[in-house]
Amino acid sequence: MNSIGRAGIALAAFAAPCVAMAAWTKAYVVEWNEPAIYYGAKAGVIDPGTDCPQGTNPEIDWVKVLMEAGYTREEAEWLRNPANPTRSPVHGQNQMAFRGKARANVYVNPTSTPDPGLVGVSGTLAEGLDLDGNAKTGFTSPDGEKGIDNNFYKTVGCWKTYRGPRRLSSGALQFNDSMRNGAWTTLIVVAGQGDDPMNDKDVNVGFYLSDDKMVKDGNGNIAPDYTFSIKPHARYEAIFPARIKNGVITSTKAVSGVLREPAYWRDLELERAQIKLTMKADGSLSGYVGGYRPWEHVYKGWVNARGPVIEALTWVQLPGVYYALRRNADYSPSGAKGEKTHISYALRVDALPAFVMSPDASQQVAAVASYKSLAPAETGRVSGLFPQVVDGIFIDPKAKQQAGPNAVITPPENIAKAKE
Amino acid sequence: MSTKTYSVGVLLTATVLAFASHAATPAQRPEQAAAMKVGLRRITETQYRHTIADVFGPGIKVEARFEPERREDGLLALGSAMLSLTSSGFEQYFALGRSISEEVLSESRREAAVTCRPSDPAGADDDCARHFVTHYGELLLRRPLTAAEIQSRLEISARGAKQAGDFYAGLELALTSLLIAPDFLFRVESAEPDPAHPEQYRLDAFSKATRLSFLLWDSTPDLQLLAAARSGALHSQQELDKQVDRMIASPKFQDGARAFFADMFQLDGFGNLVKDPAIYPKFDQSVAESAREQMLLRSMDLLVRQQGDYRDLFTSRQSYLNRSLAAVYQVPYASKSPWMAYEFPNDSERSGILTDIGFLSLHAHPGTSSPTRRGIKVLEIFMCQATPQPPANVDFSAVQDSTKGTVRGRLLDHMENEGCSGCHRRTDPLGLALEHFDGLGQLRTMENGTPIDVSAELKDVRIEGARGVAEYLRNEPKVPACLVRNVYSYGVGSKTYGRDKAYLTAQTQAFIASGYRFPTLVRQIASSAEFFKIVAPKSKSNAPIAAATVTQLQSTAE
Repeated sequence: MNSIGRAGIALAAFAAPCVAMAAWTKAYVVEWNEPAIYYGAKAGVIDPGTDCPQGTNPEIDWVKVLMEAGYTREEAEWLRNPANPTRSPVHGQNQMAFRGKARANVYVNPTSTPDPGLVGVSGTLAEGLDLDGNAKTGFTSPDGEKGIDNNFYKTVGCWKTYRGPRRLSSGALQFNDSMRNGAWTTLIVVAGQGDDPMNDKDVNVGFYLSDDKMVKDGNGNIAPDYTFSIKPHARYEAIFPARIKNGVITSTKAVSGVLREPAYWRDLELERAQIKLTMKADGSLSGYVGGYRPWEHVYKGWVNARGPVIEALTWVQLPGVYYALRRNADYSPSGAKGEKTHISYALRVDALPAFVMSPDASQQVAAVASYKSLAPAETGRVSGLFPQVVDGIFIDPKAKQQAGPNAVITPPENIAKAKE
Repeated sequence: MSTKTYSVGVLLTATVLAFASHAATPAQRPEQAAAMKVGLRRITETQYRHTIADVFGPGIKVEARFEPERREDGLLALGSAMLSLTSSGFEQYFALGRSISEEVLSESRREAAVTCRPSDPAGADDDCARHFVTHYGELLLRRPLTAAEIQSRLEISARGAKQAGDFYAGLELALTSLLIAPDFLFRVESAEPDPAHPEQYRLDAFSKATRLSFLLWDSTPDLQLLAAARSGALHSQQELDKQVDRMIASPKFQDGARAFFADMFQLDGFGNLVKDPAIYPKFDQSVAESAREQMLLRSMDLLVRQQGDYRDLFTSRQSYLNRSLAAVYQVPYASKSPWMAYEFPNDSERSGILTDIGFLSLHAHPGTSSPTRRGIKVLEIFMCQATPQPPANVDFSAVQDSTKGTVRGRLLDHMENEGCSGCHRRTDPLGLALEHFDGLGQLRTMENGTPIDVSAELKDVRIEGARGVAEYLRNEPKVPACLVRNVYSYGVGSKTYGRDKAYLTAQTQAFIASGYRFPTLVRQIASSAEFFKIVAPKSKSNAPIAAATVTQLQSTAE
């Protein structure tokens, strides 16, 4: 075989995996995705509602928290005073990390402090999917479906970062802005073997990444009908066997898959994952991807996003988040008796019609298949977004005072005295 | 800083004096004694850009706003003969000239730009400066500089070099002075007595070279063309044919063709194109620029690269897309490159340039389509048929209510007004046949829930949809005649009159005989004696030559 022939085969191999063509395909680009958080109030973020009768978690008295952790009032007030040197608008107040037993860093050792508590959802309604097939467990959906498993919502639904009307919570806005401005692109391909895309018993739904950015229209919304090439990725991919009835796509089998999550922790690693997506008359697609996800990743995501900043701005104590996630975890991959390392979760997805192409952009995808074999191997994983965040705190090598269990935290006159 | 400010003052004074000196003493050589100015056209933005790129290299940044251009009789090229320079426009050219000079003579570029080496880099060097000014002066002013013009630049250069202690700083001033010279910013066409016909005038060789170069390349003549002008060889048909063939074979011919079609297709309108984002959310500036480029790529590919039949411009399904346009056309973009060739399917309603979203969106309202505008522009651009402005007292309210029925119904109501119907009967059928495309050019079949009828009758011809319009234009004799007229007018910078009819007819017949090949048409026109024809005064004016004006010449010729 000559080199041209080999190159041709190599190119064809990269164009698309070998798989039978579907009878029909529909393709979409995810223009919005957010944790499925049912909002039970009439208006406002912190106001009481059926989801959170007391409203969101209240603002925290950090002087009190620090004193409970063993600091004197003088020390605690000095630490909380923005004029003092360990408080920075950039990295927050690093010293807040050391409020565990024996000044342990509570971000890396959340159990070094007693559970400070996190107000969770006490309502009965939730969005999501019945992941365990048991209508007797879980919430009821807003349209009356029983057995909705979404303990993630139960845990964080009254956290003001997550709470809010559809597409309006601060966390969703932050991460979707990032996605819509080009941070990442998720594609959905639906392929069926029947002759009616609205009613097909044999369907596959693929979630893929693309390097092609979404484009905003003249109103600032994502424009439909743009073309995206699939980027083969060793991690981010999920394929769901499904059926379609009256335009509603539902899983026929639970699978494992990883999506790009709109959060500080980017990997949404789902076990027993399912979908419920509705093909709308305007051509768009909307619904849920659900499954059980490792709950500790959620906690780590927030810690690595600069723990003190997250705590101060979003009115939670991260150890409280840790305890609550652990408490509400409801799935063990190793069996019913195993450690509950996963928590039920649902991602709310809105997608627009798009053209999805093979990785080399030469042809429209004609089937749902895995592209992982075409992906370069992952070179390494980075746990956090910010390289200077270590153990939840921002490390500035040039800072005059570094945080740590034994850092100087006393008022300036005492610092001067200590230097003598 | 103060040194620079002073230098600018010196530069301005010297430039004005240099021009005044040139204007007052136009005749430096005996053969120029009877020369006179017969044409003055402000160079366009693209001509400026191409000139700078050709003379100094494509890496030189040209960052400025240019003075608005003016369209006359369908062409900006005709308007350019009526434009002056405002004071703010001059400021822009001045700032641009300074920035170009600074970049050309920057430390990283000066070695390439200045082939001689100054005897003292910290002072003046007249010999080296003369070499620089003479070389670039001829390229920029499109003729050799007079001794006075050279001398004034040498003085500027020397003064600047001494003041700044830098030879190249002095050259910067001299170059800026050239870049703001009226003879650079305007194409000054000169006529001289024709030796073969002593009573007649002809364009001098440098003006001929300039006409050729701006028609074929949209840029200044190169050294080879200037040499042919300098030797006088360009006056011979043999040399003219040789130069025209050489220039058409050059890749720069595409620049010339692009500039021509951008002008003829009125693509400058994209700069002001707005659409209501609530109605056409996919429209943005990027789409507008892409749509403009698509029309040019389609034209260049068919007419220049393939040397295809001009009439295929109206019927060809071959086009070019980028990612933004593909989204508007609602087709997949199967390429990783910025642009890709694309062929619309056989059964597509898209065929030809009239179904490009560029044409369709440019000639529509911000929130609706406009059969009338589209019809007017089809007639004007491709058939050279002007349509008068509507009467001042027309009530447009019924036509503008886009919430009811289709535009056909609204226009029929409007046409009950006798003052309107005359023109609308002529313009609207072509536009109504394009109504399957909305104000952005997106395909549709319904308007306000009503099916859109795209049939139309034009005189005795019944047309159906966009393909019907395309076939109509393909077979309409006015279409090739209009292209011929436009190429000629564009090149000479003048309207055509009855006296040109025989020439244009012959050119049109030759164009048709060539199989409607655009390069052949341009070659025919650029090689013809009529292309360099000037309108000479009936009797010799007693006024000084410098005072002779185009207006005088035209008025005596009419």
